[in-house]
Amino acid sequence: MRNVKETLKYILKRVLLMVVTFLVIFVISFALIRALPLNFSGGSGTDEMKFYMQQVAIGRMYEKNGKFYENPIPVQFFNFLKNLFNPYTYTDPESGITQVASRWGYSYKVEAGLTADQVLFRHLAPTVVINIYSSLFSVPCGIGLGIFMALKKNKWQDNVLSVVIMLFISVPSFVDAFLLQYLLGYHWEILPPSVASLTENGIFSPVMFQSMILPVLAMSLGSIAGYARYTRAELTEVLTSDFMLLARTKGLRRSQATVRHALRNSMVPIFPMILGEVISVLSGSVIIEQIFTVNGVGGIYLDSINSRDLDVFQFVSMFYILIGLVGSLVVDISYGIVDPRIRMGGGKDNA
Amino acid sequence: MPKENKVLYDANSKIPSEEFTLVHESASIHDAKFETKPVGWLKDSMSRFAKNKMSVIAAVILALIALFAIIVPLASPKSRVSGKDFPSGFQDSKFAEVLPRLSHNMPFWNGTKVVTIGENDYQLHQYDDSNYQKYTLISKQTLGNPVIGFRTVYKVREDTYAVGVSSGIKVNKAYYDELVAYEAKKGISMSTDFDKNLHRSILKPQIDYKSYVEGELVTLLTAEGVSPDSITSIQDKMKNYYHNAENAYIYYKLFPAKRGEEYVDTSFVPYLNNEGKIEDIYVRDTDNKLVYYTYENGEYSIRVDYYDYFTYRYGFKNNYLLGSNNFGQDILLRLAKGTRFSLLLGIGVSLINFIIGLIWGAVSGYYGGKVDLIMERVTDIIANVPTIIIMSIASIQLTNNMAGAGAVVLSFLIAFVYNGWVGVASTTRMQFYRFKGQEYVLASRTLGAKDRRLIFKHILPNAAGTLVTASVLMIPGIIFSESSLSYLGIVDFTSSGIDTIGVLLKEGQSVIKSSPHVLISPVIFIAILMICFNLFGNGLRDAFNTTLRGSED
Repeated sequence: MRNVKETLKYILKRVLLMVVTFLVIFVISFALIRALPLNFSGGSGTDEMKFYMQQVAIGRMYEKNGKFYENPIPVQFFNFLKNLFNPYTYTDPESGITQVASRWGYSYKVEAGLTADQVLFRHLAPTVVINIYSSLFSVPCGIGLGIFMALKKNKWQDNVLSVVIMLFISVPSFVDAFLLQYLLGYHWEILPPSVASLTENGIFSPVMFQSMILPVLAMSLGSIAGYARYTRAELTEVLTSDFMLLARTKGLRRSQATVRHALRNSMVPIFPMILGEVISVLSGSVIIEQIFTVNGVGGIYLDSINSRDLDVFQFVSMFYILIGLVGSLVVDISYGIVDPRIRMGGGKDNA
Repeated sequence: MPKENKVLYDANSKIPSEEFTLVHESASIHDAKFETKPVGWLKDSMSRFAKNKMSVIAAVILALIALFAIIVPLASPKSRVSGKDFPSGFQDSKFAEVLPRLSHNMPFWNGTKVVTIGENDYQLHQYDDSNYQKYTLISKQTLGNPVIGFRTVYKVREDTYAVGVSSGIKVNKAYYDELVAYEAKKGISMSTDFDKNLHRSILKPQIDYKSYVEGELVTLLTAEGVSPDSITSIQDKMKNYYHNAENAYIYYKLFPAKRGEEYVDTSFVPYLNNEGKIEDIYVRDTDNKLVYYTYENGEYSIRVDYYDYFTYRYGFKNNYLLGSNNFGQDILLRLAKGTRFSLLLGIGVSLINFIIGLIWGAVSGYYGGKVDLIMERVTDIIANVPTIIIMSIASIQLTNNMAGAGAVVLSFLIAFVYNGWVGVASTTRMQFYRFKGQEYVLASRTLGAKDRRLIFKHILPNAAGTLVTASVLMIPGIIFSESSLSYLGIVDFTSSGIDTIGVLLKEGQSVIKSSPHVLISPVIFIAILMICFNLFGNGLRDAFNTTLRGSED
């Protein structure tokens, strides 16, 4: 590589910038979320005393004469940072056991008794598995479809598929999801309309797999259409470029020229997209999870909003933001690595 | 070589001078006048837009949808019903989950469905004193085998609008008298012609099951050899059965059904007398006239055929073109209201975003350098906080502090405006970068033009097409986010009374199994809306793209 040092410097710069962005967003979100009124209204499974003790333990509240008051937000933030690096201790009022306080706070409604990070990681598996299935299905299908369309450019196959793809890109994913769920799940009863319970079935059990087909399909349709359209656009551009003509005049067959030269070049902008998809398997789609009752991160997120379980809400929000930032960073950097023509960090004059 | 009048000369031969003539001996040469009309920027764009057939169709459909959203809430009789009867908009739980129906007489779109029901249910509804037949027989079949016994099931066409008879409707005396006069005028009173008007009258006579259950039934059952304990149990169950509001249509004597040799107290069949006919249990006064009301606390309690009573009371036949949901609300009306809300929100938000983004992007793009760098970092941060978080926080904060529709609309506005303008800003910034270095801008600057003039007179008009397209394409995105957020329930609509497409989706999904039409119509509607917006936006993008000018001619 011509300028490994420059590349590394650029990556480092981007990572630092991302960290700064994340911290700023974190502070803003922290302030906004902590500004929400905290009230213990009928949290199930946790008693009020325990809830307040936990909030005291993580530095959100303080106790005075047996009553609990909220700290000002800057103090809360200072306490949060202190807790992050040097956790407080917390004595459970019921069992009397003293333990290290959670850095990320406690759930008191969604899954009472667990810490916010435990709640998230417990529900990560279904989300990730569904997303992986969806990626494994949609990436090859989409790219294959795109290649097919590019090779059949302006023939009837291409025209028909273009219309179908336009439809799938325009239509919101929940429309596909609802129609699939109704038709395949309820009307014809081919597939289970909602995802099986994780506690009763293993994550990789056949029952689970079967019940995941519908959400995976619903997630994939839009993304297949996206990949197909992008691949088609890229490949048709490459197929008409001069070096393809050269390859053909050199004596390569059309298939040879397409596979060896056109395809590899057209994958250059698509590869970062795939990379972005791989990272975003962690976050998933809240709405699809809700429709098919996937017991995943999306469900936890919604529950935490609706039941005002603020610690969980904050932790999951930060998780989503971090994944979004890392995803876009990786995509940006990989663009430069995959395509040497893009000079990374290039200014106006050498871009 | 063929012989010709003209002599052919080769390259070396000399041409005589008389062979030469002047082309323009008399006429002087002028610029030819343009025979075509000059085409302005807007006209050029419009003509290019008109060439794109799909976009034009999409634009027409969008216009129709907008008309639909305006006209239906104004024109629908259901939106004009009195607020006293329907404090939170039209809903009638008697008509819950009815199917789409345009007219009763059509072969399809008539509010019926095919279902399979048991013998009891079928028999009971056959002797019904309501005006519309609930079940029309299609076929009858016998299931089972000799070991477990046989049972007959009926495949019938169910009219979901045959909501039957309702008792206990409270009216005042004047209203009751009017209704009686109306029936007399129309000649549909059961008092005048019992048999003919049994299935035509609005008012149905009161029924008295107690004297039958406590009197005649005991005699009949004892004659059949049923033990006194069983009789008591049958009596209790039968009273409950008659009392059940859903069974208000039963105006005849019931008898326990037979399982094997035993009479059971769980299901009942019509009691047929020696002539094979049912016997009514209508209340009759001392003159043997039918009694139509009970009087209590200054109010009349009447028993009516609900569909006809509704038509009489509100002055329109209750047909739901797209069916009703599980509260008996009209899906068509709510869809129109939801579309109206979505469109207004989409247009309003994109307008606000357009203005903010334009100013931000113009400043950032025009001045560049340090200003640009700082402004870019700010947009970076703003763009990276997910809308869903801002929405949730805004919604929670606002619903804590204020109530009703205002909170919902405001939280939507905050969430969509919060980072919606970032896209417009970056487009504007790109356009400014593109145009600010061009020679004509430089020329204008050299002539002494101020920044403001350069921005508004020279750069913005060039970027207008791209920016307008970006704003139009923003609208479907906002509608999509709005419907997903309200579907997910992040925004709480329960207290606001606002209908949105997302709320309809949410309601639809809860009854997807029993009545899919509640979900299907909003789903298809929003799909069409999105497709049209995208096609329209794409057409607009091509139309404003001046580099395509004349490319298809």
